[in-house]
Amino acid sequence: MVHFEIKNLSFSYPSDMKKEILHKVSLTVKRGEFITICGKSGCGKTTLLRHLKTVLTPYGKREGEILYKGKNLKEADLRTQSSEIGYVMQNPDQQIVTDKVWHELAFGLESLGCDQKTIRLRVAEMASYFGIQDWFHKKTDQLSGGQKQLLNLASIMAMQPELLILDEPTSQLDPIAASDFLNTIRKINRELGTTIIITEHRLEDILYASDRVIVMEAGRIIADDMPENIGEQLLKNKHPMFAAMPAPVQIFHGISKESKVLEGRELSCPLTVRQGARWLDLLFNGMALKETRIAEKKSNSEKGSSFPAVKLKEIWFRYQKDSPDVIKDLSLEIEKGSIFCIVGGNGTGKSTTLKIISGICRPYRGKVFIEGKPLEKYKTRELFGGILAMLPQDPQNLFVHKTVKEDLEEMISRKDSRREEKIKEIAALCELTHLLDSHPYDLSGGELQRAALGKILLTNPGIILLDEPTKGLDSIFKITFAGILKKLREQGTTIIMVSHDVEFCADYADWVGMFFDGGIVTTNTAEGFFLGNSFYTTAANRMSRHLFENTVTNKDVISLCQQNLS
Amino acid sequence: MCFLHCHPMINLVFYLGAIFMGMCFTHPVFQLCALLLSLSYYVLLFKENRLRKLLGMSVFFLMIALGNPLFNDRGESLLFTWINGRGYFLEALYYGISMGAMFVTVILWFSTYQQVMTSDKLLYCFGNLAPAFTMILTMVFRFIPDFQKKILQITAARKGIGKWQEEGKQRTKIEQGLLILSLLTSQALEHSIVTADSMKSRGFGSGKSTAFSIFQIKKSETCLLFLMFVLLLTILLCALAGGMSAVYFPWIELSSFGSLPTSLGFICYAIFLSIPTVLHIREEIIWYILKLKI
Repeated sequence: MVHFEIKNLSFSYPSDMKKEILHKVSLTVKRGEFITICGKSGCGKTTLLRHLKTVLTPYGKREGEILYKGKNLKEADLRTQSSEIGYVMQNPDQQIVTDKVWHELAFGLESLGCDQKTIRLRVAEMASYFGIQDWFHKKTDQLSGGQKQLLNLASIMAMQPELLILDEPTSQLDPIAASDFLNTIRKINRELGTTIIITEHRLEDILYASDRVIVMEAGRIIADDMPENIGEQLLKNKHPMFAAMPAPVQIFHGISKESKVLEGRELSCPLTVRQGARWLDLLFNGMALKETRIAEKKSNSEKGSSFPAVKLKEIWFRYQKDSPDVIKDLSLEIEKGSIFCIVGGNGTGKSTTLKIISGICRPYRGKVFIEGKPLEKYKTRELFGGILAMLPQDPQNLFVHKTVKEDLEEMISRKDSRREEKIKEIAALCELTHLLDSHPYDLSGGELQRAALGKILLTNPGIILLDEPTKGLDSIFKITFAGILKKLREQGTTIIMVSHDVEFCADYADWVGMFFDGGIVTTNTAEGFFLGNSFYTTAANRMSRHLFENTVTNKDVISLCQQNLS
Repeated sequence: MCFLHCHPMINLVFYLGAIFMGMCFTHPVFQLCALLLSLSYYVLLFKENRLRKLLGMSVFFLMIALGNPLFNDRGESLLFTWINGRGYFLEALYYGISMGAMFVTVILWFSTYQQVMTSDKLLYCFGNLAPAFTMILTMVFRFIPDFQKKILQITAARKGIGKWQEEGKQRTKIEQGLLILSLLTSQALEHSIVTADSMKSRGFGSGKSTAFSIFQIKKSETCLLFLMFVLLLTILLCALAGGMSAVYFPWIELSSFGSLPTSLGFICYAIFLSIPTVLHIREEIIWYILKLKI
């Protein structure tokens, strides 16, 4: 049965009638289907999803038709739409309306005017299904990000929707919470038969569970296929979205593209690490491997500059007098001109470490040395006028003025004769030139992140601290972002980064430190670090480690496979 | 059935009654009774820091009691005279003690009130009377902690780029504060657009709505509520009959316990105020017995 049918939908905002956000989109969604929509930010995914619910539909010029269960969507009244079409948004915090978990669960049912008995039962049912019993009586502001998003989902599921629309639900979550959340979505689809339409950047967790994957670009659907075939379609068009595909897909196509060995052998595209490992086994079926190691890569860490840019010595820190220690006996040296990544679970003190380095938090024991000089010896103006700058987790907090340009100007004193020039240079580096006159809040997540980076770079700092810079960014933009970081490193800037993004760290970091329980457990070069781990490592490593010795990135696996097959 | 976990209506009726009567009745025996019973529940409910807080309250009590005669020179029995021949009268001292006791009692009731009447209980009590207002309150309770968190984040972000000065001129401090306020407001507006979408998409304003609560009244609680109303009514009648009258000036005149309104009123008052303490102790005894059986 067809659930939704979109026919030739075109849409443009009244502010810019010529630019079509959606262009002749046609899509059919069957009952019980799991559909993943991907595409780089600004491609019209969100606009498309919002058209599937009348109250959320943006104002503007619209052509085409949307049919819900065979009738025009607008004919379905507000109550029917509210209960049957569930919509989960990106930001976990802002969707929560009430102050108590139990009240939030009941909110939708209250609005629909259900009686006490029904609400009581549904709320109980949902709390049990989602494992919310333990925090049922808590206040909503005491929950973690993952719990908040789960609550948003549960409070919508309490209305028993037939269709669930999710707009990048995990972009603000850490990887573990994100994969829990996506598992729950799969469970709902499998056990309740709810139709799912989801947009996601993190494809490795949902691609294999999807029935169909739709790729959008500039308001058009450019690919609509089974997940196994989508990589091939993208590759055919040399589309940059290929970079967003999970590691097994990228490796599969990286090899099959050139190798002739594969010809005549029917091996379908692997989607998960498990399938990837099996596919590699089949690929080398019975063959003796000529090469199991790739040649040592030249590591930047061998430059041998012994002078640490940042040195922490036996740091102890807690937020309040009688709260537990967040940082325990942390000692760390970070080499000048390197990219240092701190990885680790949530709440282990990673972000706090950055705050200690930048002097926002003062440790109660231990010392911080910046460029060899104790932190407290610096004057604020000296420290932040060219030595250090920090990019906070939420870049929005950095912008206080009406335009991006004004915000950038804030960083340089009026007396500086090269003020305009400097802003132009930075704008060019961070690709901001066309955005200078926009309001910071009108920028997309990726653009805002770039603007924030530009803002902190204006003082020309030798050390920059980044708190989860890749959170919520699409994979195409991540590559741009990494390019900027590399340029900075070549200029001798030290970059210290807290990140959950294992693949990103593996590709671009020089050093990686694992943070656990208030201290760094181990520090190693990126390669050494990810080779030594079995869980906290890249998908490429996990799927190939039974065959190869030192493969970390997709490129490593592809080149080794080619060497063995040629 | 512990008072802390009783139905919100019971909590609300009790506190409205206890605090109002605590402020009205100036008869010393009634006041002593209220002071002791509010103190006993306070001690049962709070385990930490209570000595320090009680010490603070005693100082407060002494200040009012001993200080009142300094400003109030009415009375019959002169104790001594001080600056400019102003008199320090016994009646004024007694009145001060009475006032001090009243203040301390009300403070004690309010401190347990905060522990007992959580925001959701209060909202439940008014939810049926004014649903729209209750909804706004709920959202305010949701926003306040968010705001506090946001202020910390913004300050940290400003510090991280060296745009925050701890010391400095008053002017720069005010400018910094205004900057944060403006950022906070614009973020709150952005935030509220999403919240509004989330509400609309869950059917808010789509027609008649209901107010759900997790509280259900039990039969024993209905009985208790009934008993409380009977007690309150009796006390009210006794008060109207002059059972609680107490005059301090120019000389002390108290209604005697020989009369029915005073003695009956006192018994009802004591029973009413002992409800939290009795329920709490009863619960502890039950647990003690249950533990003994293990």
